[in-house]
Amino acid sequence: MLIKIIVFICGAVVMSFEILGSRVLAPNFGSSVFVWGSLISVFLTGLSAGYYLGGRIADINPSSRKLGLMIAAPGVLFLTFPLYSAPVSDWIFVQDLGVRFSPLIASLVLFLLPSVFLGIVSPYTAKLMICSLHTSGKTIGTLYALSTFGSIIGTLVTSFYLITIAGVNALIMGQGVLLIIASAPLFFINLSCKT
Amino acid sequence: MTSRLTLLLLCLILVQTRAFALEPSEKLLFEKNSLYQYIQVTEDTVKKERYIRNQKREFTQGGIYINAPDKLLFEFTQMGFVALAFMDRDPKDVLFVGLGAGAMPKYFAGRYPDSVIDIAEIDPDMLAAAQKYFYFKEDHRMKVHVQDGRLFVKRTKKKYDWIILDAYQNDYIPFHLTTLEFLKEVKSRLNDNGVVVANITSPFRNKFFDSMVMTYKKAFPHLIIFKGKKSGNFIFVATSDGKIKDKGAVEARAGKIQTARKFDIDLADIASRYEPSDAYEWEGAKVLTDDFAPVNLYQHQKSGAK
Repeated sequence: MLIKIIVFICGAVVMSFEILGSRVLAPNFGSSVFVWGSLISVFLTGLSAGYYLGGRIADINPSSRKLGLMIAAPGVLFLTFPLYSAPVSDWIFVQDLGVRFSPLIASLVLFLLPSVFLGIVSPYTAKLMICSLHTSGKTIGTLYALSTFGSIIGTLVTSFYLITIAGVNALIMGQGVLLIIASAPLFFINLSCKT
Repeated sequence: MTSRLTLLLLCLILVQTRAFALEPSEKLLFEKNSLYQYIQVTEDTVKKERYIRNQKREFTQGGIYINAPDKLLFEFTQMGFVALAFMDRDPKDVLFVGLGAGAMPKYFAGRYPDSVIDIAEIDPDMLAAAQKYFYFKEDHRMKVHVQDGRLFVKRTKKKYDWIILDAYQNDYIPFHLTTLEFLKEVKSRLNDNGVVVANITSPFRNKFFDSMVMTYKKAFPHLIIFKGKKSGNFIFVATSDGKIKDKGAVEARAGKIQTARKFDIDLADIASRYEPSDAYEWEGAKVLTDDFAPVNLYQHQKSGAK
């Protein structure tokens, strides 16, 4: 059950962060179609890299502790996001790489690494949860569904509600806290397919 | 997991459909899903008027009288010119953020032949529609920059005597054009005694309006508000240290400009609706910032002011 909640939370955080990302970029890079294109493609790049890497890492002595690290890492990035987001955006704005490359580079710097980590979570949890090849399809299917369901909820809650009650920086830091809290139990228990 | 991408794209596409039927007297001239919005140009064959709209029929982005394309059809475009009465000289460098049908810049250029006009418009299809259906033409002193308004303001090295903020998508202003940070950037692009004018729609007194008052007030020392008679539009005139600020002086100057520049709208009448922002300030309203600007939600919430 715990792992299911964690997968759901990670799925929610990815899309919530993507929605907030558009607000992070707008002051320096506007809200043109190039900004949306940069944002979406960088998140997908991060996720696909994360899926690939996560699969590889999962084959080498997988443990719930390592999974905890993969989730705490973006948590720390989010928690410190306000410290580097404005200086990085301002610096890239000043470089003036054009209407396409400015938002693309900014998205890469600000959003790629956290989305790689969050991408790792899916294959890694699948590896931890698979007990037998007979039920592996069900396990993987459930995890994918939970992750994407989390994404849907993350998108809706963020755009419908969160953005109207708190600032963007506070929300991103809140996501950081959420990820760190979610990762904490993974350091103390040993997850296996029986839990 | 391409579902995430699909989800986002769906969000972007779903918004772009026509949400109303045309009146029998209306004729569809053009419609398109542009990169940013659904654009529709229609003509009312009875009233002899032409409009450019997004999805909602009650919010028109601009329009003209077919038989008199140089006249100003909409109240908010007429009212915006009251800002001229806050200047003690003729504005030379002028910036419009948001093109609409191009009626305001066209009208202004016709009366101030020595002015140099920049227009920032994000949507190339709006420009194309303004040129094709609304007699808008660029020339050596009136140039459209197809760019996000905020980016144009941040990038330009030029300073302006008059800046007009009128960028809308349907009934709302993109959030990054409402914030205190943006208004400070706009202020930094003003010449001494320069004036900013903004068109703020608020069909009922909503929270967004309250926040706009407080945000403009925080960015500029002087804020004067003009209320539309026929529409839910409010015109905000903000200055740093405008020489003409008092109601009497503005009315007098409006009358003079009206005659000197042959305005066919009643500038003096508009000027007489002068209200200092105090009447609208409500301390409970939040100043909008890049960090916090729930524009869409606030537009649907009633004002907390009594």
